[in-house]
Order: sequence, then C-alpha cells, then structure tokens
Amino acid sequence: MGRSSKDKRDIYYRLAKEEGWRARSAFKLLQLDEEFGLFKGVKRAVDLCAAPGSWSQVLSRKLRGKDVKIKEMAEEVKIVAVDLQAMAPLPGVTQIQGDITKISTAQEIIRHFEGQPADLVVCDGAPDVTGLHDVDEYIQAQLLLAALNITTHVLKPGGTFVAKIFRGKDVTLLYSQLKIFFSGVTCAKPRSSRNSSIEAFVVCQNYSPPEGYVPNMSNPLLDHSYDVDFNQLEGPNRIIVPFLACGDLSAFDSDRTYPLQLDASEEYHYTPPTQPPIQPPYQQACHLRKNNLLAKEDSPAHLVEAAFSAMELSASQGDNSTERPCSGLEFSG
Amino acid sequence: MMETAALVVPITALEFIREEYLLKGEGPILTVYSLQSQPKACASLSVLHNYRIHGIRPKPQPADRWSSHLGEDLVVFGGKAVCLLRLSDEGQRLEQLSPLVELQDWALDVHWLSGNDGPLLGVALAHNSALLLDPAEGCVLALSSCQEGCLLYSALLLGGTWEISVLVGGTVFNQLVLWRPGGTQPNKKAPVERRLPGHCGVIFSLCYLQETGWLASASDDRSVRVWRVGDLGGAREPCGDPRPTCLRVLYGHQARVFIVKLSPGRVYSGGEDGGCLLWDWGGGGRVARTLKGHRAGGVRALAVSEGGEGRSRWVATGGADGGVRLWQVEGEEEEDEAKGGAWEGESLVNLGFKGRGVPKVVRVVGDGHWSQGLVVVNTDHGEVCLYQGGRWSPLWDGGPEFQSYCVMEVLRVKGWGSTAAREGLCAVGSLSGEVRVFLLSQPDTGVSLRGGLGKVHSLLWVGGLTDREGRKGYLLASGAEGLVRRWLLEVEMRDTGLVLRAHPLDPLLLPPCAKRWLTAVVYLKRPQGALWVCGDRRGSLLLFEEKHRADGEEPSREEDGKETSYRTVESSDDKEDMTVENGGADKRGEESCRVGPALQPVSCLFGLHGKQGVTWLCDHRGLLYSAGRDGCVRVLQVGRQGLEVLRVQRACKGMEWLERVIILEPRDSQEDQKSPELERTGSGKEARFVMLGFHSVHFVVWDPVRQERLLSVSCGGGHRSWSYCPHQDGLSVGQGALVFIKQGVVLASQPSGEAPSRAGSLDLREGLHGRGVGCVCHLGVVGEAGDGHWDALVTGGEDTSLTVLAVQSQTGTVKALSVISDHISNIRTLTAVQRFDGRTGRGEQTAGQPLSALVVSAGGRAQMQCYRLLIRGNGQLGQPSCQVIQVASHRLDGQWERKRNRHKTVKMDPETRYMSIAVIDDRTESVLLALACSDGAVRLFSVSELRGTFELLWESFHHQRCVLSVATCCLEDEQGIRRVFLFSTATDGRIAVWDMSPVANPEDKAPTETQGLPEPLLTIPAHQSGVNALAVWVEGPGVGHRNGTRITLASGGDDGQLSVAVIGVQYQEEAIDGSGVRLQILSQWSVASAHAAPLTALGMLSPGLLVSTSPDQRVCLWRLTNTGLSQRGVLFSHVADAAGLAVWKGSGDRAWAVVCGQGLQLLKVTDMEDGGNREEVTEEM
Repeated sequence: MGRSSKDKRDIYYRLAKEEGWRARSAFKLLQLDEEFGLFKGVKRAVDLCAAPGSWSQVLSRKLRGKDVKIKEMAEEVKIVAVDLQAMAPLPGVTQIQGDITKISTAQEIIRHFEGQPADLVVCDGAPDVTGLHDVDEYIQAQLLLAALNITTHVLKPGGTFVAKIFRGKDVTLLYSQLKIFFSGVTCAKPRSSRNSSIEAFVVCQNYSPPEGYVPNMSNPLLDHSYDVDFNQLEGPNRIIVPFLACGDLSAFDSDRTYPLQLDASEEYHYTPPTQPPIQPPYQQACHLRKNNLLAKEDSPAHLVEAAFSAMELSASQGDNSTERPCSGLEFSG
Repeated sequence: MMETAALVVPITALEFIREEYLLKGEGPILTVYSLQSQPKACASLSVLHNYRIHGIRPKPQPADRWSSHLGEDLVVFGGKAVCLLRLSDEGQRLEQLSPLVELQDWALDVHWLSGNDGPLLGVALAHNSALLLDPAEGCVLALSSCQEGCLLYSALLLGGTWEISVLVGGTVFNQLVLWRPGGTQPNKKAPVERRLPGHCGVIFSLCYLQETGWLASASDDRSVRVWRVGDLGGAREPCGDPRPTCLRVLYGHQARVFIVKLSPGRVYSGGEDGGCLLWDWGGGGRVARTLKGHRAGGVRALAVSEGGEGRSRWVATGGADGGVRLWQVEGEEEEDEAKGGAWEGESLVNLGFKGRGVPKVVRVVGDGHWSQGLVVVNTDHGEVCLYQGGRWSPLWDGGPEFQSYCVMEVLRVKGWGSTAAREGLCAVGSLSGEVRVFLLSQPDTGVSLRGGLGKVHSLLWVGGLTDREGRKGYLLASGAEGLVRRWLLEVEMRDTGLVLRAHPLDPLLLPPCAKRWLTAVVYLKRPQGALWVCGDRRGSLLLFEEKHRADGEEPSREEDGKETSYRTVESSDDKEDMTVENGGADKRGEESCRVGPALQPVSCLFGLHGKQGVTWLCDHRGLLYSAGRDGCVRVLQVGRQGLEVLRVQRACKGMEWLERVIILEPRDSQEDQKSPELERTGSGKEARFVMLGFHSVHFVVWDPVRQERLLSVSCGGGHRSWSYCPHQDGLSVGQGALVFIKQGVVLASQPSGEAPSRAGSLDLREGLHGRGVGCVCHLGVVGEAGDGHWDALVTGGEDTSLTVLAVQSQTGTVKALSVISDHISNIRTLTAVQRFDGRTGRGEQTAGQPLSALVVSAGGRAQMQCYRLLIRGNGQLGQPSCQVIQVASHRLDGQWERKRNRHKTVKMDPETRYMSIAVIDDRTESVLLALACSDGAVRLFSVSELRGTFELLWESFHHQRCVLSVATCCLEDEQGIRRVFLFSTATDGRIAVWDMSPVANPEDKAPTETQGLPEPLLTIPAHQSGVNALAVWVEGPGVGHRNGTRITLASGGDDGQLSVAVIGVQYQEEAIDGSGVRLQILSQWSVASAHAAPLTALGMLSPGLLVSTSPDQRVCLWRLTNTGLSQRGVLFSHVADAAGLAVWKGSGDRAWAVVCGQGLQLLKVTDMEDGGNREEVTEEM
C-alpha cells in the first residue's frame, strides 16, 4: 500500500485533489445542483458545519465564479460559512466561528445578509461516531435538526435546505419532521456518494413553516416518535420520501476501482491532498503508542506518568494547535 | 408470520445483582444469568421493543433486605424507552411491571430516587436535560434543562432525591459539566456549576464512586481520566468539591475507550481494542491485568460486582461480537499486599539453578504444575541436573564428550513404585555422534548408542505407543547428511533392577537440503506397517513407510506381527543386554550390520512450512497437525497421494514462530483409536486445538477459534529452550505454566488457580465476528430432529474471517465451529455447493454422513478462497464438529504480490474488490463461478478440487461500472439441452442477462473458445442507481406452461426499490446465431419505497414469495401475484446495517431467513401457505 492506493480505491478522492477541492464531498453538492438547480437565483447562501470548506468552495465557485455571467450578480452574492473551527479563507465567503445551536449565530448570519433572509442553507456535517448504529443515527438526526432549527431562523419562505442524512432505522421519523417545514422533501443520492454508504442528502424545497410557527432556539427541535401502538414501526404508514439518484451516469463511478492510468494520453502523477487532515482526538494516544509508552500489564507503572509529562512537553513544543477548540458543537464535515 | 429464533448482536448493557445474577442487554432482550456454581442463563425477555438496551439499573435494596424474597425490581432503558421489571423466583421469572414508557428524548442514564410516595426515577436526557418519572404510572413529574443546551454523548444522574440530584454530562465539546436538575425554578434553565475540561475527544462513558468521591470518564481520545469531585448528590453541596481536580490520566488502550467502571482502588476500562484493562490505583495507575476475550469491534459493556467474601469480584465484559465473558479478579487490597513493590517479573519464578555451567535445555516431566513434576536441565558442562521439591541436584555427568554441545530430550514413561508418575527416559546427544539414554530414577544404568558419524543435530522421542505399560519409546537421532537413526527403547523390571533395552531399526534418510536435520516426527500405526511422518529444519514434511518384516510371519497374525518382529531382534540381543555403558561401544559394528538400508521418503512436501522449519507434528483421530515457524498450523492426512494438506490455520498477526499444537479434545478411548477404517480413510474429524509459539518477546497460547490469547508469558522471544505444562484438567490450556531459560536462568511462570481466573474466563456467550458480517450462506442441516438438530451456516465479515456456525433454532443457540482467517481483506460474498462426501462425488446426504459442502468466499484485494467443509452432528452430545479442507486460493494481482522490489514501483492496476459471487455450473468436477468485480468486470472462474486451483476463463467489461451483484439460473429446454443464464448488475441500475450455455456445456468448455462470449441477450433498466441484490427463480416447462420456461427475476436497489421482472424463454429451432434463445419480458412490477434505506439483500422462497432487508432494519415479506407485488409482513430487526440474507425452506410450511450485518438474526417464517403457492402466480399468466 503506498500513498497512491487511496487514489485507486476512491476516484473522487483523487479527482478532488486534482481539481483543488478541499474534500471529495464537493462533487456531491455539484451533482445535487445538477439535478435540482439548487443555485438558480441564489444570492444569499449559508453553509453550516462548513469545515474543511469544500461545500463553501462550491458555493463560492458556482455563485461567484465564472459560471455567473453578470458581474454585478456576482458582487451581490453573499456566502456565510459557519463552523466551530476556523478554516482557510475562501474568496467571497464570510466565516462565522460559532455554534449552530446558539441564537447569536443566527443573528450574526442575518446581520451579514443585511437583514435579508437566506435563499439556500446547506449542511454537510457529520458527528463523531460511536460505532453503535442506533446512537450514531440519533446523533446525526440531532445535528440535522439543529441545522433545521437555525435554518428556520434564517431561510426565506420558499427557500431550499440541503443536509446530509443517514438512511437508518428511524429515518422516516426525520422525514415526517422535515415535511412539516417544507412542501417538497426528496432523498437524493449523488453518484459521487458511494452506493455502499448509508449517507444520502435531503433536499427540502419550498420552505413553508406551519402557520403561526415562531422560530425558537431555546429548546432543541426533537425528532418525532412512532405512533403510540407502533403501527408505523412495522406497518405501511411509514413516511418515505421519494428517492432520486443525482448526477450524470457518464460521470465517474464512486464504487468502481480504477487503474492509476485513467487514459493512455495522460501519465499519472500523485497529487498531495489540498488540505492536511485535521488533528484527530487520538493524537496523544498515538504519540504514546509510537514511543511504546502506553501502559501495559508487564510495564512498570512509573513509566506512564513519565510518559505523560514527556508528552505534555512535546505537545507544548510542537505546533500550538494540538488542543482543538473547546466550545461549541464539534462536527467535522 | 415472522418471528425471531436466534439473535446475536452487540452487547450494550451488563449489570450484576450482588454476586448472584448477571443481567445482559442484547438488542431489546434482557437475559438473566445465575452465577451459582455453574453460571447459566435462566430467564430472558424482550423488553424494549424497537430500542436497544443501553442500561440496567437494579433498585437499591434496603440494608435489611427484607423485601428481597419478593424479587428484584429493575429499570431497563435504551433509546427513548424506559421499562420497569421484576426478577423473582430465584432468577427464573422476569416480568414487566408497567407498560413501556416512551420519552421525547434519548435517555442516557436512569437513577432510582426516593420520593414521598415511593420510588421515583430520574432520567438524564441527551439534550442536557433531566426528567423526574413516576415509574408505576409512567408519567413525567418534572423536567429540567441546563443552560448549556448542547448534546451529550454520556451522562450520569446522581443523588438520593430529585431536589439534591446532580447531572454529570459528557458534552460534544469534550468536557464534563455538572449541574443540578432539581435546584431550579420551573421554566428556568439551570446553570453549569462545575466544568471539567481536558479530554480531546467526546466522552463515551462515565462512572462515579461514592466512597471515594471519584468520577471516571472514558473518551474518544483513548484515555480514561479520573477526577476528584467530592460528594456528589449530597445534601450539603450537591455538586461536590468546588474545585474538582484530575487525579489520573490513563493511557493504555490501543483504540477508543468505550466504557469505564470504578471500585475502591481500581479502575476498569473497556475499549475498541477488545480489551478490558484493570488499573491499580497505586503507583500512579498501572495496568494490573488485561482481560482480552472479544473479537473485532471491542468491548461495549462492562460490569463489576461489589465483591463477595474474600473480596474477589466478578468482572463481566460484553463485546460488539455478541460475546459475554465472566472473569474473576482478586480483591485489590490483598493483591496489593502480595505484590509489594517489584512489578517486573512478578508472575515469574526463578528456579535458582544451582550447578556447574549454564543451563541449555529444559524439560519438565510429570503431570500439571512443574512444581509437582521434575524439571530436567542440561548444561554446557555436559551435565544433566534435576529440580525436584525445590532443590537442584546433579543427575548425570557426560564428561568431556558432552561438554559445550549437548542436545537432550526426555520422554515420560511409566515407572515403578514411588517414582511411577515421574519416571522419564532421558536421551542426550553429543557433537561426535554419541547418544546416551538413561532413566531419570536410575541415571547410572543406561545405554550408549551410536547416533552417526558427525554431530547429533537433534534427538526426538516418539512415545504414547499402544503398549499398555507405557514403558516403550522410539528414539530418533538426526546425524550428519540427513541420516536419522532409530531405536526402540524398552524399560523392564528385573530382579537386578530396571533394565533398558535398545532395539535398532532401519534408519531414515532425509532428502538433501541446506539444513538437513529432523525437527519433528510422528508415528502412525497402520495395518500394513508403520508410517513415520517427519518434519525437517528446511520446512519440509516427509512420509516414510515401514513395511512389516516378513520374518516368516503369517499374514493372519498381522496384529502381533510387530510385537514378534521386535522379539526377534531382542532375542538375538538377549545374550548381553545393553545395560552396561561401557559395553555399548563394542556393539556398534554389530548393530549397524543388523539394521537394513536407510528408508527413503515416499512422499515429500518440500518447504511446506517455510525456510525456518517445522517445529511440531502430532496426530489425532487420523489427522496430522503440523506447526512451523511460518506462523501456520497445517492439518494433513495421509491419502493415496501421500501427504495431503487439508487446511492451513494461521495464528494472529505477528505470531510467526509456532512451536506446538495442543489438541483440546480429550483423547479418545482405545476402541476409537484402533478403528482401522477411521485411520485409513482419514475422515476423522478435525479437533479443536490451540497454538503455542512466540509472539515478539512473549510466549503465547493462541486459540484460533476464539481468536484470543489464552496465555502470554514475557520470556524474551524465540531461540530458547522451553517446556509447557498444561493445566491438570487438560482443558484449561491457557492456565498452564511455562518453564524456560532466559540468559542462563531457569524461570517458570506461575500457573493460575481454579478457573475462571487469571488467564481464563468463563464464556457465558460466544461472540461472532464483531465487525459487520457482510455475507451469510446456509449449508444445510446436521443431526437428527430434536436437540441434535442444527442448521449449518457460514458467515464472512469485515474482520476478514470466515466463521462456520451451527444454529439451533429451537433454543436460539449459536455456536462457532470453526474460524478461517485466510482472507487479507473484507469478505463480501460467499457461495456454497452441497456435494456428497468424496472429492468429486455428488448425491444426497444420507443419515450418519457428514454434511459436505464446497464453499467459495471472495472479497477485497481480489481474493478468493475455496474450502470443503465436512460438518457432522454429535447427536445429543453437543454441538456439531466441522472439518475444513482448504481447496484453493486465488488473487487477481497474485503476480504483483510475488514481484520483488514491488515497494519501489507504483502498482497501476486497480485494487479490485469482489462484490458478489454465483455458481454457474457444478455438474462437473470443477465448479464454474461468476464474480462481480469493482473494476467493472464480470469474470468467470473455474475451481477444481482435484487440481486445487482457480482458473480465470473469461471476463467482460460490458458494464463499465462497478459490478455489484451476480446471479445465475439454469434450465433445460424441450430437447433436454441445458441452458445457463447469468444476471449481472452495476451501479447504473441496469441488469444484464447473459447466456452462459456455451461455457457451461462441457463439450464447448475449452477455455480458448469461451473468449468470444456474446454480449448480453437482454438489458433491463430496473433501478435509478446501484442494484445491490438479485434473486432468481425458474419454472420449467414441466410445470405446464404453454410458452415454455419462465424466469422470475427480483432485484433490490440502493434507491430502496424492489423490482420484479418475469421473463419468458423461447427456443428457436435453428440456432443460427449461436444462442438459439429468445428472452422476452412478460411483466414487470416494482415497489418504489419498499425500504426507507438501500435494499441490500433479497431472498426468494418461491416465485410468489420474496424476503428483503435493508439498513432501515426491516425484514419484509413480499407476495408476487399476477396483479403485482404486495407486502405480506414486516419485522423490525435488531441487526443494524443489514448486508446479507439467506433463506431456505424448512420442514412443513415453515421457512427460515437469516439476516446478517452488525450481528446475526435467524427468523422463522410461518404462514407460507398462500404466499408460497406458486401455482396461483403462474397459472393465469
């Protein structure tokens, strides 16, 4: 396994690097747009849980870039990216380092739009997973609902909301919650998202909150429950929204394994990633393991303490970003 | 309609009630294990409907325990549900006390609180809020939220009453926050009162210990932190210490830490690495013990009992693999005392060797513990010393001849009188070829033998002969140029004392190679003569045949033939017994004249175990087991072709130096041993065994089925002399002791006491794969009806192993019969062909015969493996046994893997994954297979059991996309010509139908002719995106169709859609274009949202009845009629991420379905009568 093996396993990973996207997920938004025309007439867009910024990159290129014919239109476009973590700046994208569950964040977004509501809100956030499917699906649903909650504060009626969703055991409960706020809810799967993954995207069109609905950030928006006698659990009344596969069939197949030499005319060159990976939570543990300093049954105890102090030392000597931000919601895109 | 018959999913909750019961939460099912003498499950109840049990909280008993005779009240929670239960009748009865309470939010903890009118429940919720619940009524009495409205990954609610309760939350910001739910006014949010930052990842688990005021947290950052927080939930200051401090940061896990528990003086943590670490509080937090007993996926649940008399505690671990282990740990106080300061080498005992020189070889004679037996050591001074009763004494001095070089081997023999249990024959060999043999009890009387001209490379004993007395043994001395001399040695009691007699036998000659000496040997008795299987230092296995000497023997007396032939030798020798050492030398000439020419091997597997050599050989019930320094154990048989390898079992990663195999089954009775048929046919079943060897600096006992270390002794690694003493009972292998030499010191490990203890544990429930199970295949049924009836399944998973399972549907018991770990990547697909026993024979399985199947598995890194499995029932005695025979192995990029310097070049070829496999044809010796490949190809392979190879026959890149699924069907036309169709699907939602008849029909089967296979006959657009699953059913012309044959083709897609196409087959008279077949779609049906998630697996019980599953965790039953598809039933499944499905018909109108994913679930499908009626579907169309 060399550094090129991931290029072979995942064609969109490779393409993302070659086209300068910060993550392969950029293709997912592009393909969703191909199908739904998400960016048509959009002047104000919000990217929630934006880091490392690939969706903001797409918004920036598509709303402001050469695709937009009239220069003035491009000037008018405002894009806000919200995340707990800072990310590298992007042209025409305003960053807000904040928590999507806070009313102050919603207010700041509106301030950037000079009091105007947004036309489009997108969210590609995914939580730290536990490996237990029921817990992971629940947490992902809460993230989506937090995004929906802030969206109800900033989205114009008739606006569009796009978010990542896990198609798991209770996804129908989320659909029913979303259908309260949007007249058109579709489950869409871009072709750049792997067939094998349970990831999909809800494209919620025509924001039309129920009459008298007052956006409220002080209580979390909760997901629905099955009806009392569980008829919906195993019965036919489950709310399943239409499914749509997005993207041109002639595009690359995310499940296919390609040779490094894609066509005869062009020699393969390894491209390094556009952005280095974020620092993982297990960094310290890995450092200890690498130096054989993890506590073991047959190792004397004092080593662990010594190791830890040695660790602290090296951490403080190293780059100062070892500690991840310790406030707000922690989600990686 | 559908009901669960067996379920194995991750264990998500464990809790003890005193030392009496262990409660387990697995999916929605609560199971009670009684811990009396023989721990076993005594009650079970499905309580949480569609939720998983994440916690069990027994109601605290009042001090006098007057109410305990009524039973134990418990609250069980998980997801958004809470349920109150009572356990009574000494653990036999489990009943629900109130209806299931459904909450608005996810419950992370439930805590018993006392209220004015009886007990109440405090519930910590995931949005950092808390509920006060009346358990009897199921109504909410109070709700309180924290100002910090973030999501929690874990929480604890503490305190005696709601008013003074404290909630500890582990937030998504990697912090712990403490606040008081009961201390706020209504409609106001409570402030955070304490904040504990420090973790670098989210917090998965929390535990608080009242006695010490400690709080422990386990995190994504792989650490456990212990905090001093003071008295939480106390009346005076509910939030405890105003300045909580971090006392310990414990790094020891190799991956994330999922769960943590506290006891006074100890921290217990379980993690994704599958281990549970016991941390001693003293010494800054050292790992006192590692409990490893779970396969991939890690430890998900952990419980520690309060401790009974003697302060020993139970620890229970539950894995993602569905396994539950029970461990006993000593009370921390005593242990601390006993261990004192020195930690290093505590578990090792220095035997304090006293004698001249440096010990070189160590051997142990006697049963069980080395301290009860004899430890025999030889030194570089040419001496043999004995350790007995704690003292060393010199036994034998070989003089200058045996100095600086001396090999030694000891055979245990039955002695006389007081030394009966500890008698041994000791053989030593010198640099000049001298061999001496003497009895340990009588070292002065021995025999001197000539081992050859040069140095004696090795000495080996073969004992365990069929003589009743156990006083004989064969000695083999490997000398120069591959010549192995052999003697039969006998001990006899005479009036003059014990007498040793040596009878020379024909020598063996090893084939020429670089390291030409013997390292392992086993003797097989056969009616025609003896067989000797030898292993050499070059890694080869050799078979020598020793014909009976004629010597005028009558053939009818064959049984005594050998006995007599020895007697002949003996009588010629009788005049002067070789009892005087000095006399031995004079006999050499005579001796060499008597023995015949050297035997040559009749069969040789050259370099089988690699260049580092063979280390061990043994036989058991007609099968041979060899181990080598290539990290493999091979199971072999002596067949017509000589030595035949049946299968290879690798040890764990990094354990390349194997030294020995220990068979776990108790040895069979004499009758069984003598059964000549069994011996000859070699169809004896494979036994469970463990592997002994070196893993870096450790000596390890590895159980390949449990995939776990049973024992690990830090001995310094290989290249040392060692001797292993298994536990007395012969079964608790991991609890034996090791005696070894390290830097000239004789050391011994302390064997543990009674089971389950230090190394051992009690398996309350066996685990399966742990990670996702990607595919499942039903092989058939073994055993008779009733308790002996088992369904045999094979599963493959992300943990890269194949598991052969036996499932008893009546009791829900699931047993792993064999774990095969030859794949290097994810196993995605499996198929099986039932074939009658014998290499190529086909036919029906008859009673008493084993279930025999050919299994082919495929997956990542373009790897395919083929095995023959022989599974036989054990009647009422217990689980069936499985013998695995490795048939063939293949990788597409095998060329690349064999290339030298491949790390220096970039491999341009794609990393192909095999996605799906189907059998095209199995009528001939070689089975034809179709494979769906991720590089866009459909490939055809044949696998031959006789040749033991896979062969690529054909490939087509028609799809140009990742091929996801393949299926086949075959039918006969009116002329009786076989037609074989292949269906393949890709990520574009299209199904291609191919006519494979030219390949399948033997006359055209020359591989060269199959190159030009036609394009698909038909392409059916069926789905928007990837087609994950296919199922096919054929109804032949025999059923009475006017228009010939019809094929029902069902498909399930990533779009959640279920589609069915009914295809008519028409044969054309003149087969001009080669195919002569026309396919026509007669009807097409689909259900757009059959599942709310991708449809991942499909099964067909009849053309009218389909079963589907999906990660939405529903198993659906569909009925197909001439009016379309309709749902017949739905069952919520507790197997998350469902990836595979197998269905089969049972007896009566019953059918079975097994779903695999994050676990395994067996479903019984009843009510088949109208859904399964194919006539209704087909008649009118």
